[in-house]
Parts: sequence; C-alpha cells; structure tokens
Amino acid sequence: MAVLRTLLYLFIYPGLLFLFIYGTFCEWFDRKVYARFQNRMGPTQTGKFGILQPVADFIKLLAKEDVVPDAVDKSLFSALPAVGLAVVSVAALLLPVWNFDLNVPGPTSFSGDLIVLLYLLTLPTLIFFLAGWSSTNLFSTVGAARVITMLFAYEVPLFLAVLSPAILAGSWRLAEIAAFYQHRPLLLLPNLIGFFVAIIAVQAKLERTPFDIPHAETEIVGGTLTEYSGKKLALFRLMLDIELVVSSGLLAAVFLGGFPGGAILGFINFVIKTLFIILILSLLKAMTSRIRIDQVVAFSWKYLAPLALVQLLIVIILKGVLT
Amino acid sequence: MKFQIPIGPQHPALKEPLGLKMTIEGEVIRDADIRLGYNHRGIEKVAEQKNWIQNIYLMERICGICSHSHATCYVQGAEKLMGIMPPARALYIRYMVSELERVHSHLLWLGVAGHEAGFDSFFMYVWRDREIVMDLLELISGNRVHYAINTIGGVRRDLDESQKTKILEGIKTLQKRSEYYLYIGVNEPSFVARLAGVGYLSKEQAMKLCATGPTAKASGIDRDVRKEDPYAVYDELEFDIAVADTCDVLGRTVVRIKEILQSYTMIEQMVKKLPVGDITVKAPRRPKPGEVVARYEAPRGENIHYIKSNGSDRPERLKVRAPTLANYAATIEMLKSGFIADIPLIFAAIDPCICCAERSVVLVDASSGAEKTVPMSELRRLGIERHKNSPIKRNLAWLY
Amino acid sequence: MKIGVMMPELLRALFKKPATVDYPFVRLAPPPDFRGSPFLKPELCIACLACERDCPAEAIEILSTNEAEKRFMMTIHIDRCIHCAQCVDSCPTDAMAMDMIFEIADVTRLRMKKQWEYVRATVKIKPPPAKPPASPAPA
Repeated sequence: MAVLRTLLYLFIYPGLLFLFIYGTFCEWFDRKVYARFQNRMGPTQTGKFGILQPVADFIKLLAKEDVVPDAVDKSLFSALPAVGLAVVSVAALLLPVWNFDLNVPGPTSFSGDLIVLLYLLTLPTLIFFLAGWSSTNLFSTVGAARVITMLFAYEVPLFLAVLSPAILAGSWRLAEIAAFYQHRPLLLLPNLIGFFVAIIAVQAKLERTPFDIPHAETEIVGGTLTEYSGKKLALFRLMLDIELVVSSGLLAAVFLGGFPGGAILGFINFVIKTLFIILILSLLKAMTSRIRIDQVVAFSWKYLAPLALVQLLIVIILKGVLT
Repeated sequence: MKFQIPIGPQHPALKEPLGLKMTIEGEVIRDADIRLGYNHRGIEKVAEQKNWIQNIYLMERICGICSHSHATCYVQGAEKLMGIMPPARALYIRYMVSELERVHSHLLWLGVAGHEAGFDSFFMYVWRDREIVMDLLELISGNRVHYAINTIGGVRRDLDESQKTKILEGIKTLQKRSEYYLYIGVNEPSFVARLAGVGYLSKEQAMKLCATGPTAKASGIDRDVRKEDPYAVYDELEFDIAVADTCDVLGRTVVRIKEILQSYTMIEQMVKKLPVGDITVKAPRRPKPGEVVARYEAPRGENIHYIKSNGSDRPERLKVRAPTLANYAATIEMLKSGFIADIPLIFAAIDPCICCAERSVVLVDASSGAEKTVPMSELRRLGIERHKNSPIKRNLAWLY
Repeated sequence: MKIGVMMPELLRALFKKPATVDYPFVRLAPPPDFRGSPFLKPELCIACLACERDCPAEAIEILSTNEAEKRFMMTIHIDRCIHCAQCVDSCPTDAMAMDMIFEIADVTRLRMKKQWEYVRATVKIKPPPAKPPASPAPA
C-alpha cells in the first residue's frame, strides 16, 4: 500500500505528470504574456487559446530524428538530458506547497532543504556546460564557456538574496520560512531589495534575455544545445520549463509568504503566486536586450552583489532590533 | 591559441549566404576574410539577352529590399541614352516611391539590428509600424515589394486624391513612432551597451576604404548623391544630410533614424507640390549607341549602373556596382579587434544586401579543394563558348 | 542611467488589441489596383503579339491555330508570370487585365496554365485622348 502511494507521488502528483502539465502551462503563460507585451497574439489555435502549444512542441520533438554526431562522447551526450530532468524534478519535490502542515511534515521537508534546493538548481548549469563540452562543436564549446562564466556572475547574488529572508525568519527550512511570513506579513517589506536582486539573478539562471548569451541564436547558432535534436532536445526543453516552475516557486515561497490555506486553497495560492513571478520575469525579458558576457560579469559584481550585501545588512540589523 | 571559426555560409545572423572566416583568440577576433559568390545568378549576362523594357523587371529582382533603387538607376541611365526626359509629375511620383522605399528599408534594418542584439520587443514594434509603409506602397503601386512603377520615359501609375490623403496620414503616424524609436534606441541601457563603441571606423579609414552610405555618414563624412549630383527633383526639395560623429554602430543607428525623419519631410513636400501633367513620355525601342554611368542614393549608399548600348534593342553591357560591395572592405577593418559577440552587430551595421553585391571571384575545385582566381575576360569567354552566342530559344528551354 | 525605457509602452500594449491579423480566418482585402494574375478579354484581342514580345518571363504564348479563319490560341503560364503587368501596358486595345487573386499556390505547375481560343478581333485602336499640356520638365 505504501509502495503504491509512493509510486503515485512519484509519477502523478507531485511527480512527473503534474510537473509536465504545470511546466507546459507555465511555458504557455510565458509565451502568451510575452506576445501580448509585444502587441501580437502568441499561440492561438492548438487547444483553446493555444494552451496545448508547448505540449504539441514536445510531442513533435519526440517524433523527430535523433542525430548523434560521430565525434561526441556518446555516453555523456546521451545521459545528460535524463539526468537534468531528474535533477529538476527532485528539486520540485522540495517546494513547500505539498508540505503545507508543519505538524505532519512529509519526507521532503527537513531543516536545510533551502540549501539543498539551491544546490539542486546549480546542477542544471553544470549539465549545460557538460552538454556543450561533450558536443565537441566549435559553437557549443563557446556556449559552454559562456554558461560557466555566467555562473561566476550570478550565483553569489542569488544565494545572498535568497538567504536574507531565511536569516530574518531564523530557519533554513522552507516550510518554516513560509509559515513565519504568513504570521507576520509586514516583515516581507524589508526584503524588497533582495526580491529584485533575486528576480534578476533567477533570470540569469534561466538563461533568458538579457542573459541569454549561452544560447544566443544570432551569434553562436544554438550555443550549448546546438547538436541536440529529437528526444534529447525534448527532454532538455522540458527541463527548462520545470526549472522555471521551481525557480518561481522558490521565489514565491521565500519572498511572497508561501502558500497558506491547506491542500486546495494552498494549491490555488501556489498557481497565482508563481504566475505572478513569471509575469515579472516575462516583463524583464521583453524590456531589455541581450548584453555581452563581460558586461554581465561587470554588472553583477558592480551592482547586484553590493545590493545583496545591503539587503543582508538590513536583515541583520532588523533581526537585532526585533529580538 | 588561435583557431578559425566560420560564420556562414549558413548562419542565423546572415540573411543570405556569405562566407566569413574569422581567426579568433579567446573571445577577440584577430583577422577576418570574406568569400562571395554563393548566390551568384549571372544577372549581368541575362541582361544582355533581354530588351530594354524587360530589363527593368530584371533589375528590380536583384534585391527585394532595394528593388526600386536598381530599377530607377537603370531607367535613369536608359533615359539618358535615349535622350528623353520624363515629365515633372512622373519624376515626383518616382522619387516619392524612392523615399518611401528608403523609409521601409531603414525600418527593416532597425528591426533586424534589434533582433541581432537580442532586443526582440523593439524588433516587433518597428516591424509593426513598417506595415504602414508597406500598405502605402501597395496602394500606390499594386505590390508590397518589387513595385514596378518605373517605365522608360516615366511611371506607370498615377496618384489620385484619396491616395495622397492616405500617404500624408501614414507619414504623420510614422513620424511620431520614429521619434519614439530614436528615444528608445539611444536611451535603453542594455541596447546602448551593445551598440556603443562597437565596430569603430575612423574618418580617415572610412575615406581610404571607400565606405559609402550610412556607414560613412556615421564617421562624419557628409557625402550624399542627392546633394552632390542632384538628379531630377532633389534640387527642388529642402532636406539635410544626417551625419553622426561617433563612428560606431550606435552612430549608424542614429544616422538611419534621422534619415527617415528627413524622408518624411521630403515625402510631405513632394505630395503637396505634385505638379499636374502626363505621367509618361513615349520611348524609342532602340537607343543610339553610347555608354552612360547612372548614380543613385540607395538606402545603403551609392548605387552605380554602367550601361553600354550598340544601337540594338538589347543592351550590350550592363554592370551593377551595389553599395554593399563598397562597404565590405570597411567591414573587414571593423571586425579586427572586436569580440565574437559583436560579429552579428558589426556585420549588420553596414546593412548588408549580399544579393546585390555578388561577384564570382574564386572558383574552388570540389574534389581537390584547389582555388583559382578567375578574371572577367575568362568568365566571359567560358560563357560565350558554352552558349555559342545563340539567341534565346523561345519555348524550347522550358520543360513544362 | 534610465532603467526599463520601454516599460510604459509594453504595459500599455497588454490592454490593446493585438496588431496581428488572424489569417486565414480573417483576410484583408487587396487595394483596388492590385496586380494579381493577367487574363485575356478575347473579344478585344487583335493578336499583335506585343504582350508576348514584352513579357520578361516568357509567360505568354500565342499560336495561330487556323490561318484562314484567323483563329488564335493564347496560353498564359501563371507559374512563370512575375506579376509585373507589363502585358497590360503593352497591349494597345485593353485586351489584357489583371485580377485581384493572390492565393494562387498549387502543388504542380501543370495546373497553373490558362488558355483561350478566339478569333482575332477587328477593333480599331483608338488614338489616345487629348491630354492637357504637361508642365515643363526640369532641364
């Protein structure tokens, strides 16, 4: 019986099927909002309002021929998409939306799970680097070098910004942080600077404009994913969608006060808050143009990291004042 | 450690095939080499086999964006050879379409520059407003590209009052939007960070390497065929030449937007001062023997057509020097000591119309890879030998 | 340094109707003088062969099917046509005209030919009507 329940959790909810459906829904929302910002329509005909368009893209990619070049490192090349999907799915299990009751904690809510989530979100970057490196293509190598260079730029501001509300709440456990801010919502306001820093750093992690240099289409063809096609590319794109869900869930849990209200209401809360974060990310994507890799590093160390440090300072002073 | 990276012939940054071989060290470019001829269509040879009227349509199809420039330059040359002058109304209509084409071409370039830099919202907005110009051109000439409004001796279609009103309304909307794009292009920090200081070409270099058009105007050279050699109506209109002195891609952007703002005032003057009269003059079938050089300010620079006639109803030699060909040498200079990330922008900043500038210079043996530089006399001899100077075989060469 | 210069325009665009035309469910009408494909009005054709001579794409073929009865057959190859309307300009009697259809794509070229068989007309070519004197062209 317990085995059946575990399998249900792993494959249906909150496992792979739910993540597939919700990830493609978030991609649809992102594409539609991005299109409306640009005064055009976005997907319209596949399903009502084009809601099935990302699913159609996924199925189409599964049906295409999977070309593996001769010179690549075959085992690494083929294993990476599946490993990437596994990593982000595990990261999604740590979100506090299904562990809504602190008195009956599930197996995926434990002290320190915020750090584990951040670690699991760093792995996709390494996977992209390995994907580009094992492709042994000139464009992929340049793309892989850019992915790792960006990691040096945005990782520190992201960690500092996400850890500040955790320090204020006094815990490393996502469910406890969410519960703290649900009891005292006014304390969300001092974290505003951290919120903006985290939004920009998450945009860099997800490789969206202005930070989509690693897969800049007009410069290096496809970047790290140049040689991937067919099923492997489908799994990589699904991994990017679920990474979007996980990142926006993380930001909503830490900066917007979690998902109160139990099973049903908490789930609706989850949907609304993650869609709000995706709206802000889409606005940032539509508003800016791509910048060069050296400008990314300069920008994040000159502006983002000091702002995150200022946020940390505010939180420490506030914590001293409050206790 | 240097290695060679090829951009093209197939690459998302290029609209047409072109071979660029870059030697790079890290992320910095040390050397560049351009290879032409992937899209060579033999238009100059085909032009020797079609009569003077059919050649107008052939010249249009050298390029899609600057189609009217090639057709007008050719017609200017042919009219000089035949010794006829079109009536004033025809000239006003012809050059009004020229200025509308300049607007459409520069708006297209602006969108493409935004897309190459990653600024997709800008690209979408600019192309949405370009639809206004395309609809106006369709209203005047019957087609959105390849307007075919020229004929030897004048134009083929007339303008009536409702069309004139629509042109003035469209220009007014576009003027407001273009000023907004100038504001965005110069003030959006991430966009300016991509464009400023990129692709530097000093004034002396630009003059030495014969750059032309907005590429040279952004380096402070204020030469424009419309002011130096005013043909037809340009000495009756008031306009300025747009120049900038920053010598980089941002300067070229600003020059192009200012040029379209000037074009709007020119179009308004031309619509308001449109004279009455005929729209065409009867042209003879055969001009007298002679040769002529026709110049025209295309959106990309100075377009030169050389036409030689021997008194028959076909030209003897027609040579096209498109402006992009003149800008290639300046591009190589600009690419050296730039970053890889800047290659698409530097290349796009000269507004490359690769199809206009096709030359077949180097023949490469497919099996052995040996290269041979071919002079024009050799190409001509090979072509004549292949067809043995035969006339067009009508209805025999078609398979369907 | 201004941040987000385009943001007001983007936010306003969320509440406006999109600029995209939902083709093929909504079709815009072409303007009155649109150059579609050429067609013949056989009762006006005098078989002077001017359109055949001036067509840049060799898309018009006129053959004489019966010398005594003055019967001709014209074939217009729409697949070769470049839609320039030079045939309309070259024709002295208004026998050629352009239609307004632009959705002419097909899977094979062999279906894109139009043919007319007719007897040569004896229409007199009218002299062009007297126009007002043109303003003097610049020197």
